[in-house]
Amino acid sequence: MLVTSLTKSISEISGNRDTNLSNDFFLPKGEQMENIISIKDVFYKYPGSDNYAVNGISLDIKANEWISIVGKNGSGKTTLTRLIDGLEECESGTIEIDGVVTDEETIWDARKKIGIVFQNPDHQFVGATVEDDVAFGLENQGMPREQMINAVDNALKMVDMQDFKKRDPQSLSGGQKQRVAIAGVLAIKPQIIIMDESTSMLDPEGRKTVINLIEQLRSEQNLTVISITHDIEETQLSDRIIVLNSGKIVKDTDPADLYNLGPQLTEFGLEEPFTNLVAAGLTDLIDFKGYITEEGLIDKLCELNLKR
Amino acid sequence: MRIEFEKVTHSYESSNPMSGLGLANVSCTIESGQFTAIVGKTGSGKSTLVKHINALLKPTSGTITVGDHQITPETDNKNLKPLRKKVGMVFQFPESQLFEDTVEKDIMFGPKNFGFTEEQAKEAASKMIEVVGLGPDYLTKSPFDLSGGQMRRVAIAGVLASDPETIILDEPTAGLDPVGRKEIMDLFKAQQSRGKTIILITHNMDDVANYADKLMVMHDSHLVGQGTPKQVFNDQELLNKNYISLPQSAVFAQKLAAKGFTFDQLPITISELTAEIKQQIHGD
Ligand SMILES: Nc1ncnc2c1ncn2[C@@H]1O[C@H](COP(=O)(O)OP(=O)(O)OP(=O)(O)O)[C@@H](O)[C@H]1O
Ligand SMILES: Nc1ncnc2c1ncn2[C@@H]1O[C@H](COP(=O)(O)OP(=O)(O)OP(=O)(O)O)[C@@H](O)[C@H]1O
Ligand SMILES: [Mg+2]
Ligand SMILES: [Mg+2]
Repeated sequence: MLVTSLTKSISEISGNRDTNLSNDFFLPKGEQMENIISIKDVFYKYPGSDNYAVNGISLDIKANEWISIVGKNGSGKTTLTRLIDGLEECESGTIEIDGVVTDEETIWDARKKIGIVFQNPDHQFVGATVEDDVAFGLENQGMPREQMINAVDNALKMVDMQDFKKRDPQSLSGGQKQRVAIAGVLAIKPQIIIMDESTSMLDPEGRKTVINLIEQLRSEQNLTVISITHDIEETQLSDRIIVLNSGKIVKDTDPADLYNLGPQLTEFGLEEPFTNLVAAGLTDLIDFKGYITEEGLIDKLCELNLKR
Repeated sequence: MRIEFEKVTHSYESSNPMSGLGLANVSCTIESGQFTAIVGKTGSGKSTLVKHINALLKPTSGTITVGDHQITPETDNKNLKPLRKKVGMVFQFPESQLFEDTVEKDIMFGPKNFGFTEEQAKEAASKMIEVVGLGPDYLTKSPFDLSGGQMRRVAIAGVLASDPETIILDEPTAGLDPVGRKEIMDLFKAQQSRGKTIILITHNMDDVANYADKLMVMHDSHLVGQGTPKQVFNDQELLNKNYISLPQSAVFAQKLAAKGFTFDQLPITISELTAEIKQQIHGD
């Protein structure tokens, strides 16, 4: 859906989503879309800190969903994903991954289902060469060597980094590091991929290519995608947006609904979509309130242009 | 400070054939007091280019002139302090420039290194932490116990605190929330109006259109285009070769153009775009 939606309007996307939900409703029990992640009343504060970085969060994420997590710097986005992956332990509350509540014992199985691309790719690298690095996760899975060589090549090809196999990851450019970090996670074919601002240093076209790639894998491999991002264009394409503020969920909705908030978005550190800003500069021509899609705005302007 | 690159080539570890060229025969001039943006695809040589301005990298051949300093292949690491005092740099990954055990010490490091007294450095730190949108509470924290965007802000504060004449910013807004991004970009613009020379690497073409006086385009280690943002974003050859991406206003104008609007030149900011639309619809 996301691939084609680059040229589709948001209303179509959310339309599709509603259809999914209602189909789901009529399915017999047991075949309903399952929650791959279920978070209940989770609290967490860093050692020595007075404030809760995650301050009472409950959240269900369905298998195959694409959700964006947005919010101000320091609002708790990264911390939440570290809790999901068991890198930090909740002070209270529970996290269920694929039907199993995670604890010291179950977290190892849960973690095999999750691939995280960290905010800083340098934290991801363990190998001395790019190919070793991508192979690392596969070795852990016990993949036979022959198969591994292929899998590494494939993953590097997906992000267009096959020519850099023998390089030390530390010597790559910023965007190249981000691509290799993504390859390392894609190679292990996780059920859930968490991307923590993993395209923030890619050029605009590279960013679109990666987003399209993830979307393609989502439909082919039933991947669930959790993307932390400050990129408004990417959020406009997702099924659902979660807004965090001071460790709490303050909005859980679809893009059109969120962007209807208009100037109030700045309270959450967000900006208005481009089309809203253009329309706001044309108030003497068009009368509108809230969110307007690109197609909607172009149609309105063309109508006026023909009338003149 | 005026900066001039003369036929600068940089090859990483020339002994290792796997590492390609970082810069290929780049010549350009950056005028004093200008706001220059550098764009280009992943791996095109942007970071390599700017690291030559404060001699973090030395050219394999060619010369860089920064004010009255000259950097050549023979330049050694002695006597670089006067140059580095004048040229501050915010690195692409903020963590690579944070190392002290408190945020305050971290911000004070640059000023002290460049001759501020302890007291002046402390004062600079408490001023800069506010300027980058973090409160004084942050001064006593460890810079490593911060979120990604908070680290980025501390790194920026640290560079601005020593008040360098030329400020190099390597993707300084990656990881900032959109409101923060705008505030920080406005901060850089304000530094320019105080007479500073600003050099910004970015993938955000709207920021280029809104803030820069001049734009340079890198591709495959070569400088392939330069001019005002308006000129470069209207350069058909660069667009056809797919060397640049356009600001949102220009993309939107192209879509309107496909449906009967006409634009002599692509508008690059929202105010240019809305002015053009109004003019065409009102027909005046
Ligand atoms: N290792 C740590 N020790 C102590 N406090 C921390 C640590 N890491 C983060 N924090 C604090 O916890 C809060 C949440 O941080 P988190 O990294 O989850 O934010 P974020 O939403 O990911 O922000 P950003 O957009 O800047 O990456 C912040 O106030 C931050 O200062
Ligand atoms: N230390 C190094 N050793 C070998 N090659 C390097 C080194 N640093 C950079 N390179 C290579 O030089 C080329 C230019 O890198 P540079 O970091 O200047 O790119 P960039 O334009 O800043 O890219 P990005 O937008 O991804 O940060 C890249 O192909 C990179 O892999
Ligand atoms: Mg974060
Ligand atoms: Mg770079």
